[in-house]
Amino acid sequence: MTRITTGIDQAPALETSLEMPYTLTTGKAVSVFIEQLGHGVIVGSHCDNCDRTVVPAQDYCARCGGDQGATVAVEPTGVVTAITRTADGAVGLIRLDGVDADLLHVIDESAGEVAVGDRVEATFAPEPVGTILTLAGFAPSTSAVSTTAPKEIDEVADEDLAKQIIYSLSLPYRHAYGPNYGRLFDELGSRGGILGSRCPHCQNVLVPPRAYCEICYVKTEQFVEVKDTGRLQAFSVIHMEFIGQTRKPPYVYAEIVLDGASTRLIHNVAGIDMARATEVLDIGTPVRAVWKAESERNGTLDDIDYFEPIPE
Amino acid sequence: MSTSTERVAVVSSALSQLKPAWDTVQHIDLISETVNQALLASGFDIHDVDVVIDCGSDVLDGRSISNCGFLGQMGAHHKEESRVEEDGLFGAMYAVNKILGGGAKVALVIAYSKPSESIVENYYRTIADPFYQRPVGLNKAVAAGLLANQYLTGTDATEEELAEIAARAWTRAAANSKVSDARAYTAREILDSPVVASPLNQLSLSRPVDGAVAIVLTSETIARKLGSTPVWVTGMGSAMESQFLSEREPGRLEACEVAAGMAKRFAGGKEATSYGFAEVSATSAADEAMVVEALGLAARGKAASAYDGDVDINPSGGAIPADPIMATGLVRMHEAANRLSGRVEGSSATSALVHASGGIGMQTHSVFSLEV
Ligand SMILES: [Zn+2]
Ligand SMILES: [Zn+2]
Repeated sequence: MTRITTGIDQAPALETSLEMPYTLTTGKAVSVFIEQLGHGVIVGSHCDNCDRTVVPAQDYCARCGGDQGATVAVEPTGVVTAITRTADGAVGLIRLDGVDADLLHVIDESAGEVAVGDRVEATFAPEPVGTILTLAGFAPSTSAVSTTAPKEIDEVADEDLAKQIIYSLSLPYRHAYGPNYGRLFDELGSRGGILGSRCPHCQNVLVPPRAYCEICYVKTEQFVEVKDTGRLQAFSVIHMEFIGQTRKPPYVYAEIVLDGASTRLIHNVAGIDMARATEVLDIGTPVRAVWKAESERNGTLDDIDYFEPIPE
Repeated sequence: MSTSTERVAVVSSALSQLKPAWDTVQHIDLISETVNQALLASGFDIHDVDVVIDCGSDVLDGRSISNCGFLGQMGAHHKEESRVEEDGLFGAMYAVNKILGGGAKVALVIAYSKPSESIVENYYRTIADPFYQRPVGLNKAVAAGLLANQYLTGTDATEEELAEIAARAWTRAAANSKVSDARAYTAREILDSPVVASPLNQLSLSRPVDGAVAIVLTSETIARKLGSTPVWVTGMGSAMESQFLSEREPGRLEACEVAAGMAKRFAGGKEATSYGFAEVSATSAADEAMVVEALGLAARGKAASAYDGDVDINPSGGAIPADPIMATGLVRMHEAANRLSGRVEGSSATSALVHASGGIGMQTHSVFSLEV
């Protein structure tokens, strides 16, 4: 989804976002850790080689790289070794009793400020949430230091383990157009003109316009208007459906050399019987732009609905 | 390097203005202008360049394999081109190795970013592992806050000393014409700025800025034929911390110590305190203090005293007032090379330590020894 914005004190920019869905494969240690949190148990792992217990559980030892030995249940109490407070709350490092490494987690300060050296104990979400956040965080505690050694847990039944976590990232952006694309889109939006830039060295006209000719690496310095007619350099009839498609297959994806330009423009060819596309179209077929109605234009290359063959 | 007969030199470099938002240009406009300036200063034509190495972040750029889209405007058309998804100083390490290995004589290293186009903490969140660290809220500010808290807890250093470090950085950046919208602050003003991640304030955490930097490196034979003063790479090193903050040694940057140790060893066992100045990266004032200590410029917890020592620390202002993520370390190299080659008035130093860092909570470190 993209949108052009222009504010009074902001340069025009392209607002867009990347939506990134994932299924994250947990591996054994993470899946056991998350499953056991659902029972109110915090598990770590013990490296026999380093004789060191770390939490959360890991498949491999970060120190020696060896396989972790036993998966162990650790005490839910410990001491804060570091803390930072942000607008979103406090996060700290907690050294659980009997463990040899800190755990990074949320510090719950709703019952009062927590300082380094303070005793804390685990608090759990009312229902398992399927992530490390089933362990909600650590709150102040009057508990004594536990001397109970971490103890090995029973093997968790494979069918109880979540192998994957459904996860997604949404990354918003506001991309500057810059002087070249800015001018291109201005001309497109205001009067349907298509601009390129000319290289003073090789004389090529580059569409879209750019600051430097890629081949000569000299400044282009001059805008040149090209025509909205041209010839097919290559094309492909797309039958496959995929994420991000803006048209419904079948459609023709084409490289078009506009009259007056030296480079190829990627666009669509339509206005033909798609079933006969490969008979009607050929390399070199002359085409012309079919523009959208003025009310539908927004100053992008999408203002050209498609290209159609020019009848001979 | 001591193991090779041929050395590598920085022969020219260029830096764009470092601005909170370059909203009138695209990445490619910023990059091409900077590359052109570096080439003009070197006397080389793009066709003399054997290899282009570029450093940026796909997540910050908002497109995958973003170098493919920027390639032409970087001068890399039909050239050997490589992307290093790390700070530009790691790209410079690649370039030096490439030249020492005989695979290139002239290398162009580019680093850039436009953090103003996205939500910067999203970039840092994507670095955090998605099972154990990201859901808990780990990002740049939280990592820096925890590191700062560990540093203050584990040493005699004070919040006031960190504020002095930040105030000094801003004051020097205010005098650096390449850093936009920077003004001098007092330690009091630093401490009074809004707390972002305690004990760090808005002004003691690094400020992301947009910018691009380009550096030309050549073999010794070529460097000696050019008119400019070659700045020799006499040592370099790199190392990485565990991705888990909890696996790191609290209050110090061990990977930075390792990287600095390598660089100084290659430079003939040079002492950190024998360098003229240091240009270091940091995401906060506490990080900068820990880097100063890791380089060997001060004992643990004593970084504040090093700022009054013989080695000038961050004459450019450093990374706190201007952090063009992914380019920050290469900007340090540009600043250092500029001073060493006599392009900065009043600078007579003949050697510098240059440092870069990347990742969450300064996970990766690269250190260069430069001499003229
Ligand atoms: Zn081990
Ligand atoms: Zn040209």
